Amino acid sequence: MMRPGVKPRVAFFDFASCEGCQLQVVNLEESVIDLIDIVNVVSFREAMKEHSDDYDIAFVEGSIMRPMDEERLKNIRNRAKILVALGACACIGGINTLRNRYSVEHVKKVVYGDADMDGNPFFDVFHTKAVGDVVDVDYYVHGCPINRDELAKVVTSLALGKKPEIPNYPVCVECKKKGNVCIFERGGFCLGPVTRAGCGAICPTNGSGCEGCRGLVDNPNTDSELEVLEKYGLRLEDALGKFDIFCYRYKGEISK
Amino acid sequence: MRIIDKKDFIEFVNLLITKDARTVVGVKAKGDKFIYDELASADELRLDFDVTVLSPKKYFMPPTETLLEYDLSSDFKVMSVNEVTPLIIIGIHPYDLIALQQMETVFRDTYPDANHLLKLERSILIGTNMQNVSPHSFAASMGTATTRYGYDLMLTDIGDSYYVELGSDRGEELLERYARVSMPDESHKKRFEAVINGIVGKFQKKLNFPADELPAILAKTYDSDLWANKAEKCLSCGSCNLVCPTCYCFDVQDVTELNLRKGERIRTWDGCLLEDFAKVATGENFREDRASRYRHRFMRKGKFLHERFGFIACVGCGRCASGCLPDIADPVEVYNTLKEEVL
Amino acid sequence: MTRENVTIYTPRPATIKRIKQMTENEKLFEIILDDDMPLGHNPGQFVEVSVMGIGEAPISVSSPPTKTDGFELCVRAVGNVTRAMHAMKVGDKIGIRGPFGNGFKTNMLKGKDLLFICGGLGFAPMRSLINYVLAYRRDYGEIAVLYGCKRPCDLLFADEVKRWRFMDGILDHHLTVDEVCEGESWEHNIGVITTLIPKAKFNPETTYALICGPPVMYRYVIHSLKEKGLPDEHIIVSLERRMKCGLGKCGHCQINSTYVCQDGPVFVYSEIKDLQEAI
Repeated sequence: MMRPGVKPRVAFFDFASCEGCQLQVVNLEESVIDLIDIVNVVSFREAMKEHSDDYDIAFVEGSIMRPMDEERLKNIRNRAKILVALGACACIGGINTLRNRYSVEHVKKVVYGDADMDGNPFFDVFHTKAVGDVVDVDYYVHGCPINRDELAKVVTSLALGKKPEIPNYPVCVECKKKGNVCIFERGGFCLGPVTRAGCGAICPTNGSGCEGCRGLVDNPNTDSELEVLEKYGLRLEDALGKFDIFCYRYKGEISK
Repeated sequence: MRIIDKKDFIEFVNLLITKDARTVVGVKAKGDKFIYDELASADELRLDFDVTVLSPKKYFMPPTETLLEYDLSSDFKVMSVNEVTPLIIIGIHPYDLIALQQMETVFRDTYPDANHLLKLERSILIGTNMQNVSPHSFAASMGTATTRYGYDLMLTDIGDSYYVELGSDRGEELLERYARVSMPDESHKKRFEAVINGIVGKFQKKLNFPADELPAILAKTYDSDLWANKAEKCLSCGSCNLVCPTCYCFDVQDVTELNLRKGERIRTWDGCLLEDFAKVATGENFREDRASRYRHRFMRKGKFLHERFGFIACVGCGRCASGCLPDIADPVEVYNTLKEEVL
Repeated sequence: MTRENVTIYTPRPATIKRIKQMTENEKLFEIILDDDMPLGHNPGQFVEVSVMGIGEAPISVSSPPTKTDGFELCVRAVGNVTRAMHAMKVGDKIGIRGPFGNGFKTNMLKGKDLLFICGGLGFAPMRSLINYVLAYRRDYGEIAVLYGCKRPCDLLFADEVKRWRFMDGILDHHLTVDEVCEGESWEHNIGVITTLIPKAKFNPETTYALICGPPVMYRYVIHSLKEKGLPDEHIIVSLERRMKCGLGKCGHCQINSTYVCQDGPVFVYSEIKDLQEAI
């Protein structure tokens, strides 16, 4: 927790990711001015040349793929008073966990063929990990990409010395408040009933089912969700497959 | 009572839209569903709707509403906010009118809530009797299929014209100002009565007992296995709460702008089915398991609020039943099963 | 959009006049309403405290109504609002709504023997009533306080509690802690609060027990009291729930048909013992 009234020093870091979440920060547009007014951005590769290792809050984007990533991340954790995981890759492993279904050797073979990678630490990969699998995470800004309003809420909360309130209710809540017709009633499939809200139900509002990019709520009823997906016409196999895109890490907990 | 020809009715609505200072809202199609939304022309109005996705509650208790504005750059600067857009709402079914009356009772109780009441007082409610009934609705069982109060005007489609009941002076003035009307003759009255008498027969869903037995049935079924059995499939998604026209629970949050100067204290719809609804700061959650939350909602609708306010807080619209994906929220099924348990 | 001066959600501005660190996690705040009006509360009532930008939290009033130059709140840093309060200093502004709830019925208790049973932070609202009763000591019969907390260093209002030892014949008291750590001195009982009940001598016909503590405490304490013959009508509890609005609207504190923020937080046990979920 930051002390109110003191301008915190903030740094952004990226690991395996598309850097789209940092782009969302840059896309705050005129609010960026407000942002740099209340925090002191000391490192942000995507937006500035300067870099400093003296910071209070570290925003970490991307998932952790290699021992060298783990080492770098632990270093960041040691320096930061507060560590915030930024985006699906950092929070839950995200899209990068798609490859966790296969062995590391298989993945390397498919991507790099017969290239010689022996002893090269850049190719020394393990199964994708989320940031929280390696170090303690203080706060999560979920989503693929992150929602700018939520990021602003987290930053203002930290600057005010307040614990950010990240919803522990599913996307349905925000979807219903929008007055949307349920995706299932429109012939689609949706992970909204088990996925953590905070996105403003952006996908269902625009006609596509939730893919679970914000991860699941604390106590998701995944068995019931699977039954619903089946009831509306998916085979169990395909219903389970819905969780592969972003929520692969939860599959071990699904009892079916 | 008045009669308004259908073509005159279209002109009446168009006049309201173009001439009246208030915003005109009505039932419109959205895909194969219906919603309340601002009308651009009378052509959009669909008085043949069965039920709307959300009830008109959304205008009097918006999903998110500002209660206060504050300014952190000075010592203590707080301004109360009550954003009121006076509305004319066209096409409210009787069950939703009764739901609005219940909400008003709650918000008027002990500490009158101006943020709700002022919006209601400044709006005109034009009801309409049901032409079509949602397959999940059981309003007839709840005594809410028709109503004699709660509206400024009430429309009933009697073929070539609408039979208009006057519910208030405001409603009557609205007609005088904008509509060409005539007085009903015997044939109009007969057709009106026939329509009204036919409504109850249109419901597929029914309670197997008089609704006023509900509080007593629920008093005996607190420990029923039904709650846990049904709740096993509960997604805790709050959909049943959020689409309900009589659910009024809310959460309050401070949202500060990124400049850390200005901010708003907002209230936003909450739901007792959501996991953290009864959790306190120390971490204690007074309804931690799904079953106790699931039970709370039915008890609240059929018993708790009855004890407090004297009405059964379910108007039989069926929105919860159609909005529940695992199909466990249908009050007809739950209450009929409980009735059998106490027989 | 209308901007009115006051709605039921508008907090009254107030100023922190004094702050006292009571324990590691609890501070006592003395608050003065900026319009200089007394709060006008009953013991057992609570206020909604606003720290603008952070939020609002229900906090019971710790001072007796007999103190009219401001009122006191004993605050544990546990949520956003309370943590923000702990970071504030004398002269800072907060917002106050209330007092809310029913409080203890001090007139009904007149002439009765009173047995206070407090656990942890539950002592905060109880201290309001204890000091009120001490101010009108002649109106009441025997008074005993059983007070338990986790460790000796968690004792709230320790100075006042220490003075009780000089109040023989005025107030009987028994203290307990769950554990004593190395280096801490403790000459009283060690064990859960119920272990104090046998030590208190009381006549079940004339005694009213007043209970406030963590949720887990009530069931055990009530059981012990009933074993000692105390009728349900003589057991008075103050319950904690999520009282978000204080106005009987937001629904969070509802126990069956009861809104704790309006009908409570103080209840006579006989009236709520059949209320499922209450205890």
